[in-house]
Amino acid sequence: MKHPWLVLAALTALGAGLGQAQVQVYPQKWTVAKPGEAKRGGVLRTSVISDFRTFNPFITAEAGNVPDTISGLHGLVQRDPSNGEWIPDMATSWTISPNKLEITFKIRRGMKWSDGQAITADDWVTTFKIHTDEKVGSNSYDSFFIDGKPVKVSKVDDYTLKITYPKTDAEAFAVASYTPWPDHIFGPVYQKEGAEGIKKMWGLNAKVSDIVSPGPWVIGSYTPGERLVLKRNPYFGEWNKDEAGNPLPYLDGQEILIVKDTNAQLAAFLSGQIDLYSPSTVDQISQVRKAVQDNKLDATIKVNISPNATSQFIVFDWNKKSDPFKQELFRSAKFRQAMSHLVNRQAVIDVVYGGFGTPTYTSIYPVLKDWVNPAAPKYDFDPKKATQLLTELGFTKKDNEGYLVNAQGKRLEFNLATNAGNNQREQMARLFADEAKKVGVKVNFNPIDFNTLVGQLQSKGDDRPWDAILIGLSGGGLDWPFGSNVVPCTGSLHMYNTSGKCIDPRETQLSALYSRGRTELDLAKRKEIGNQMQVIEAQLQPIVYIAGPNYHPAWNNRVGGQFPDKLINALYGSRTTELTYIAK
Amino acid sequence: MGTYILRRIIQLIPTFVGATLLAFIIIQLSPGDFFTEKLLDPKVRPETVQRLREQFGLNQPIYVQYLLWMKGLLQWPPQLGYSFAYQQDVWQIALPRVLNSMILVVASTFLLYLVAIPIGIFSAVRQYSLADRVVSFISYIFLSIPSFFFALIMIFLILQLNYAARDAFHLSNNAQILPVGGMTSSGSEAWPGWKRFLDVLWHALIPVLVVTARDIAGFTRFMRGQMLDVLGQDYMRTARAKGLSERVSIYKHALRNAVIPFVAGIGSILPGLVSGVGFVEVVMNWPGVTPFYLDALNSKDLYVLTGFLVIGLVLLMIGNLISDLLLAWVDPRIRYY
Repeated sequence: MKHPWLVLAALTALGAGLGQAQVQVYPQKWTVAKPGEAKRGGVLRTSVISDFRTFNPFITAEAGNVPDTISGLHGLVQRDPSNGEWIPDMATSWTISPNKLEITFKIRRGMKWSDGQAITADDWVTTFKIHTDEKVGSNSYDSFFIDGKPVKVSKVDDYTLKITYPKTDAEAFAVASYTPWPDHIFGPVYQKEGAEGIKKMWGLNAKVSDIVSPGPWVIGSYTPGERLVLKRNPYFGEWNKDEAGNPLPYLDGQEILIVKDTNAQLAAFLSGQIDLYSPSTVDQISQVRKAVQDNKLDATIKVNISPNATSQFIVFDWNKKSDPFKQELFRSAKFRQAMSHLVNRQAVIDVVYGGFGTPTYTSIYPVLKDWVNPAAPKYDFDPKKATQLLTELGFTKKDNEGYLVNAQGKRLEFNLATNAGNNQREQMARLFADEAKKVGVKVNFNPIDFNTLVGQLQSKGDDRPWDAILIGLSGGGLDWPFGSNVVPCTGSLHMYNTSGKCIDPRETQLSALYSRGRTELDLAKRKEIGNQMQVIEAQLQPIVYIAGPNYHPAWNNRVGGQFPDKLINALYGSRTTELTYIAK
Repeated sequence: MGTYILRRIIQLIPTFVGATLLAFIIIQLSPGDFFTEKLLDPKVRPETVQRLREQFGLNQPIYVQYLLWMKGLLQWPPQLGYSFAYQQDVWQIALPRVLNSMILVVASTFLLYLVAIPIGIFSAVRQYSLADRVVSFISYIFLSIPSFFFALIMIFLILQLNYAARDAFHLSNNAQILPVGGMTSSGSEAWPGWKRFLDVLWHALIPVLVVTARDIAGFTRFMRGQMLDVLGQDYMRTARAKGLSERVSIYKHALRNAVIPFVAGIGSILPGLVSGVGFVEVVMNWPGVTPFYLDALNSKDLYVLTGFLVIGLVLLMIGNLISDLLLAWVDPRIRYY
């Protein structure tokens, strides 16, 4: 026998397969740390802007909430941050039924809850049941429905789970990736007391040792308004290792400070009280840079590493029965193209984002590089072309105040609203109104209360009380990055036309392509449909996109284990907490 | 006296109903509600938002909502209502913030009286002296700086102080001479009680100074004016004329009369205990009432807003009653029947 240790290794592996957990290995490409470089122990100190509301995964709604944080968002499958593909996580493998409506997952063996109980198929089934109980009011409720029809989750055996979809869906894995919560804790309460019982569980005053987690962290302590202290969940390391076989996470714990004010966050980072920080304004970026240059802070900042997953845009109201002049105008693609030619995106980036922003031309966020169609036409800033398009619409003369009028003497004038108090949007609206005025379009800018604005956007029918609104959206899927209630004509966020019926034939086409893409499982074909949609979106300009801010993560150099630069972006952040370690 | 107190308490009932009703209506009059923001979430269906509104009773007429809420208030123990954001009883989530704010409120009130009254008396007695002018000058500076801005300046100075100290004493890169915010240090949960107490004091130092600086300035000016008023009275001349020492005439005759307006203002200290110290809490990251209340205001978390209002209202009514009674005790000219 030439290599006795090989046999030994094989035997050990077999033993591991039988008695111990099926181990998931975090690949080396997810961290800049060299093999063996990461140290064990230490505490990562971070901050959140708003206080936590609950520990209960079924009623939590805010970003950065406790259940998401302690579970690390682990589910059956996860996305590989290096290419966005779905890879195994709490499931080891899966099979897709021939009709593509069922996925059967093999659940990883040997996983345990932080209280030592085994994680099995029942946990996913119970979690699904509670999320989809209307009376619970879970924030995840809608994610278990496709076109209003429910997804089903059922147990085959303890380690096999079947998910049945009402139709083929590009987001199938995203639906399946939800985090399980312990059946042995929620199940009995749900059976006995139903939704009301679930809502009373795991409030902020619950004993933290009673909060059970499937993920890398458990709660050590919580002080309202101050900090959340997390400890390593020792059972997580049994099935999660680095390539050298060390259990993860490396850190002993995390300390998450609640810092309500962005200036206070900056001050905490500059003084070394927190390790991670994402500056959002030029001023914050330059203060971090200066502190680093002056050797007052040992930190790294990655300026402009990717765009953020948000968009700002102007939308026009197509439902204005009582004002046929404006209705016809707003329904004209030429008019909206002209308006796009009046958006000085570079000026917006320079003035509003201090030079650190990215122009946007379609509904696809620029951060989704693989999805953006570079061939889609751009109606970029060009007042001459705008004037030409407006001339073609009949606005050939100017009145004595210098504004364009048509043959009937109607002035080209409309109101533009945004939510008052949002300085960035107010600046954008003013920049737009200025450029419009130069070519003779009168834009009456009027910031109004946010809730009033939403009320106007959401108003239904064929006569709505607004002309144009500047607002933004964020969030949305990565497998099919068109909004399910934004693109289809019947969607509740189909903001420009809420009559419930498509008006422009291209609107109908977009709705149809949206559904086709959503049910197309082949990624390449889906991208093809997406490209087609972006071309139509650009020509139709139902929404005039402006620009968005960029992402600039910074960290204190006492922490290591961040992603290599090419993996860092606004979608996946700068690191996984599992591979993060304290370097000094 | 007993009947007077009873009468006052009975008079409070219509005030209470009127104030709560008005507040309830005003909050509801502003557009939208807690769930409006969800309508802009591309992942949430409008039917879901409608269902949530029904679950929380927001689809009912305002008077029904008010009556239901009143019914809860009149139970024992009183139910302040349920927070939409936290899905918990308002009192339970508000109490820790109130206690945190109280640290600043109590410390700064104490410091205020301790420092402002002597300075005010001093300035009045030595009117137009150099010391009086210096005090007046400093007072005007502090009076004109908004406290949140003063807090920002202090944060900047603390940062510079920390940087300088690290260089000077070769300390580690994360060492702090003074904290730039927060109420406790990391890991302090495990410390013994005395050390945690000192830790909170260390963190409270700057916020208390910032809050008090402004109040001291105002209070000192007011005290000085009151004292000057009294010092010019005939009975002061009489007191001096009949041979009382300057000390006795100032502290026994002048001061007692000069503090009467302050006694009338004591009523507002009680609601001040729960209302926090304002934006300083936000800027200095103190986990008090203000950040919490601003959150609720932003998201229209109805019962958190009304709940705080009720607590403040009740304390204000009790405080006013107490200061009226104290006035009768301090000022012999006042009698209640």
